[in-house]
Amino acid sequence: MKKQADGKEIIFDSAVYSKEAVELAAYVFAGRCEVKVTSGGQAFRARLSGAAAGRLAGEFANEALNQQCRIDLAKKNSKLAGMIVTKALLAACGENAPRKRGGK
Amino acid sequence: MAQKNPAKNKKAPSLPLARWERVAGGRLLTNDAGCHALLGEKDFARVMAGGITKKDPLFKRLAAAGFVRESMDFEGLAAKWRTLNAHLDQGPGLHILVLTLRCNHKCLYCQSSAAGEGAKKTDMDRRTALASVDFAFTSPNPLITIEFQGGEPLLNWDVLKAAVKRARERAAATGKELKLALVSNFTLMTEEKARFLLQNEVSICTSLDGPADLHNKNRIFAGGNSHAATVRWIKYFQEKHKLQAQQYRVFKPGALLTVSRQSLPRWKEIIGEYARLGLEDIFVRPLAPIGYARGLWDKIGYTPAEFQEFYGRCLDHILALNRRGTVLREKTAAMMLEKIVNATEPGYLDARCPCGAAIGQIAYNYNGDLFTCDEGRMVGWEGDDIFRVGNVFRDNLGKVLASPAARACVVSSNLEAQPECSRCAYKPYCGVCPVYNYEAQGSLWGNMRSNGRCSLFKGVFAAIFERLGNARDKKVLESWVAKK
Repeated sequence: MKKQADGKEIIFDSAVYSKEAVELAAYVFAGRCEVKVTSGGQAFRARLSGAAAGRLAGEFANEALNQQCRIDLAKKNSKLAGMIVTKALLAACGENAPRKRGGK
Repeated sequence: MAQKNPAKNKKAPSLPLARWERVAGGRLLTNDAGCHALLGEKDFARVMAGGITKKDPLFKRLAAAGFVRESMDFEGLAAKWRTLNAHLDQGPGLHILVLTLRCNHKCLYCQSSAAGEGAKKTDMDRRTALASVDFAFTSPNPLITIEFQGGEPLLNWDVLKAAVKRARERAAATGKELKLALVSNFTLMTEEKARFLLQNEVSICTSLDGPADLHNKNRIFAGGNSHAATVRWIKYFQEKHKLQAQQYRVFKPGALLTVSRQSLPRWKEIIGEYARLGLEDIFVRPLAPIGYARGLWDKIGYTPAEFQEFYGRCLDHILALNRRGTVLREKTAAMMLEKIVNATEPGYLDARCPCGAAIGQIAYNYNGDLFTCDEGRMVGWEGDDIFRVGNVFRDNLGKVLASPAARACVVSSNLEAQPECSRCAYKPYCGVCPVYNYEAQGSLWGNMRSNGRCSLFKGVFAAIFERLGNARDKKVLESWVAKK
């Protein structure tokens, strides 16, 4: 985490964090401070500026980690999660979730 | 609190997909079917090390609850999962009609985003109310509950009456079961209104924050003594319930407690007030930093740890009263126990997966706008319509459920997609709230590691499971959800 005169820059190792996770974290924080995401080398950089940047930097890093964990989890069980969502929405409309045909 | 791979010792039974959590005196194990086991630390260590054999008494217990991979009753476990998640087949059952935003109270914490009594253009008109009732009956759910809320709904009495009549007609025409409920502060209740409500089998619920001084401090009423009116009409409806009537059923009146910061040291008096009035349920509900309350949080709010302490004290006191013969249930615990003990879904929309937003409930604002839930409607009143799912005149149910807000809430409140929740021992019984997440943490998903509601729910679950580990408390808790 680098402190700069008018904000803070957080560097995310691209071996651990995806661009999507950093961008999602930036989106969550968009209403609280100015965030600029850039990439270069083996890292993504999020630059927080504004009066609260210093205070929010730690929270931003945690949010990026939260988003990355969510993306990783989705890779493992998105099928199950998708089935639950589909069933809930279709049943609420009065329709039954379509049965999978021909699957093993 | 993690999924475990089978133990390497092939001779010993292994644990399948068990989640665990530390609770006082040991560990809680749960699985997706909602089965649980409370183990002491030594037994837990033995199980984890693959140290139990088929002859071990613990084996039988764990196997019966679906915790032993080698002896799982898949059909039985699947049936339990289905009853625990019955809401996935139902559709919106709770329909909240916000008859007016006007209110004659100025409650400290008012989450319902009320307008002043004299405010204009904040009443639901008759046409909107009837359209809302008709919309509610398009839900595939065979049980429709229509709840009249505000503001103070009695300020829009004629429209309330029209909606009740229309709902009864629609129920008769569709063959659906109908429950009608009114949430009122009772200060505008009259004999005539009470008679109509009783004759139309409208169940009555009010707010009661504790003894007179505390209640009146929280629920400021310029027109007189809020507590006195509340107590008077609770007694009135209790008396009517006792006498019953030949032509219609009379329900027991209920009361809702809202816990503000000034309630915290007064747990004993609050419970005493409910017991004194003969109320059989007390809903120890935390305040949520949503809508109006969010701006006042520094004044009226508290930390999850403070609420947990309060909740634990309340629960212990209620259990002690029960042992002495008083009938009083804590409603959060009772609803969780329905899941934990009976593996049934109690209709608690806040603790479901996915949450009840749009798929389990719809809030109808005074102007016909539809929201995922009442909390989402409160965010809308603060100027952010993110949880708006449609309008009663322009959209049908299919369109509402296909709206971005409805879909986003369903997806984001799916615990299978929440990193912390998917590994949590309380997952089979819990649920997240996208509105809370949005208000407190800036996204519908939230971040459960630092989420106040998550921390608070974990504390409530720990309090319940700790007491289930004590034979004396367990007996009382199980009696709250015993099938009669």
